[in-house]
Amino acid sequence: MAVSKKESMLVNEEELEDDSDMGDDVSESELEQESEEESEEEGDVRLAEPAQNATYNRDGLLEKLGDMSWPENAKWVDRLTLDIEQEQPVDVNDDLTRELAFYTQALNGTRMAFEKLLSMGLPFLRPEDYYAEMVKSDSHMEKVKSRLLVEKKNMEEADERRKAREAKKLSKEIQNQKLKERAKQKKESIESVKKWRKQRQQSGFAGGDKGSELDLAFEDGKPFEKSSNKRPGVAPGDRSGGKAKYAGKGKKPKKREIKDSKFGFGGRKGSRKQNVAETTNDLRGFNKEDGFSKNKKRKM
Amino acid sequence: MAKKRKHSESEAAPQKKEEVAPERPKRTLLGWKDKKDDQPKETESTPVFRNKEKVLVTCSRRINYRYRHLMLNVVDLLPHCKKDNKVESKSSKGATLNELVELKSCSSCLFFECRKGKDLYMWMAKSPSGPSVKFLVNAVHTMEELKLTGNHLKGSRPLLTFSSNFDKDPHWKLLKEMITQIFGTPKEHRKSKPYHDHVFVFSIVDDHIWFRNYQISVPHNESDKIARGGLDKMTLIEVGPRFCLNPIKIFAGSFGGPTLYENPFYISPNQIRSMQKKKKAGTFVKKVKAKTRRKMHELENPLEQDEFAEMWKE
Repeated sequence: MAVSKKESMLVNEEELEDDSDMGDDVSESELEQESEEESEEEGDVRLAEPAQNATYNRDGLLEKLGDMSWPENAKWVDRLTLDIEQEQPVDVNDDLTRELAFYTQALNGTRMAFEKLLSMGLPFLRPEDYYAEMVKSDSHMEKVKSRLLVEKKNMEEADERRKAREAKKLSKEIQNQKLKERAKQKKESIESVKKWRKQRQQSGFAGGDKGSELDLAFEDGKPFEKSSNKRPGVAPGDRSGGKAKYAGKGKKPKKREIKDSKFGFGGRKGSRKQNVAETTNDLRGFNKEDGFSKNKKRKM
Repeated sequence: MAKKRKHSESEAAPQKKEEVAPERPKRTLLGWKDKKDDQPKETESTPVFRNKEKVLVTCSRRINYRYRHLMLNVVDLLPHCKKDNKVESKSSKGATLNELVELKSCSSCLFFECRKGKDLYMWMAKSPSGPSVKFLVNAVHTMEELKLTGNHLKGSRPLLTFSSNFDKDPHWKLLKEMITQIFGTPKEHRKSKPYHDHVFVFSIVDDHIWFRNYQISVPHNESDKIARGGLDKMTLIEVGPRFCLNPIKIFAGSFGGPTLYENPFYISPNQIRSMQKKKKAGTFVKKVKAKTRRKMHELENPLEQDEFAEMWKE
């Protein structure tokens, strides 16, 4: 009963929320429109239509221009002005194209000016050995330079990071592929073994009973393991890890060392004195004082 | 006693000087210059044109630091200018400025007027008779900005490049002439240097005059004798400052006189700000309205009774 009530409440609430969401959406979209309008106005601050009552005294302007302009005999060298054709109208809000337009204007202008000055035989650029005060001070230029260097360094670092990231990604992929391949190989080999066994059973192998004994360890998918934790060259129970034999010339007297290596130092004594396969195979200490081998050698 | 004597002496001395000092002829490198020689030269039929432009550069009080730096940059760029103290920006500033220009024996004036600590207006005036223009300055970047990496000689004469649309209308023509006179460094000015290593760009885009300043750089080994190849390799590096001038009005006199031109598209920044404020004020009212509308809508169209609501009730 209570649950049903709650559910119904929930449903109602959801509906309400939906409705209110709708309302919000509408208002938001309106706001967005407004903000767009604002931004447009901020970007382009001007009246949509020219004001009607704006004065424009064409004759007055031209007259003033005539009054103020330099006399006719002013040469180009006095003015140093250049008019450059603008190829196409420039979009103001596109920073890049605008700056490019200014740059090309300046470049064309300098080329024209250079040709003119060259034909007049006037100096143009400053010679290398002409040192004079510059507009920006040396300390300021130092700052500019250091900033450029920092920017370059940052860019290089970012590049390196990006490369490392990519390499990591690639290596991960390769690793995954390798693992997959390995797994596949393993599966294949196991299957082939199974197949072989089946075939053998079907063909009626003579030692059918023995076949069951021939359980291969890797059939279970377990890798081969070291059967025991016996270390070669170390007696069982030697806690020094066989190092006692080769102990460096430390503080211990030599005799003690020898005795330690012979009888062991620490650890269980009992198992150390037992024979193991290694000790049995070790014939180093056997028949040392035997004259027989010597005699044999002599005879030879 | 001693004091008194000193006083009398000091008073006497200037009097003596006044008595003694006759009007001296001007001294030149080669000796004394006679006045008689000077006069016929001026009245010659075709005197050689010599540009003697001097520009007074000042700003208003309470200018903000960015615009002050812009002014200082302009001072650096114009070796033929004189910088003066700040001027109170009152309604009578025109008269004081005219006086100042005359006092400093300048022929034109650049006045940076800052209002409300955020809007920069630039007055460009020819004095005493010439026209004057009032601009609104936008998009200001000073030379100190580190992204502008160029540098050039202080006082080398700039090349002035104008976009071709300056010749379209008479007011643009007038502005072009004013700009060439004010921003061009006079030839053989004593502070100018004999080489050209920077370019000014004046370009009209969107009815605004955009200003840029570039350094001309040519690979070093070729700078002594530039061949054609050197010309191709020429690159420009921006030095700054940057600004954008929006002409508001052109007056016939210097800092006053009848209006010759009025920008029909101009809206003052104050108006823009007030409009924005009004818009912002409207948002809350709209919200309240939307809420009431929603409520009315809900009342008019009530939800249907859910027939399954009572289903699980026992």
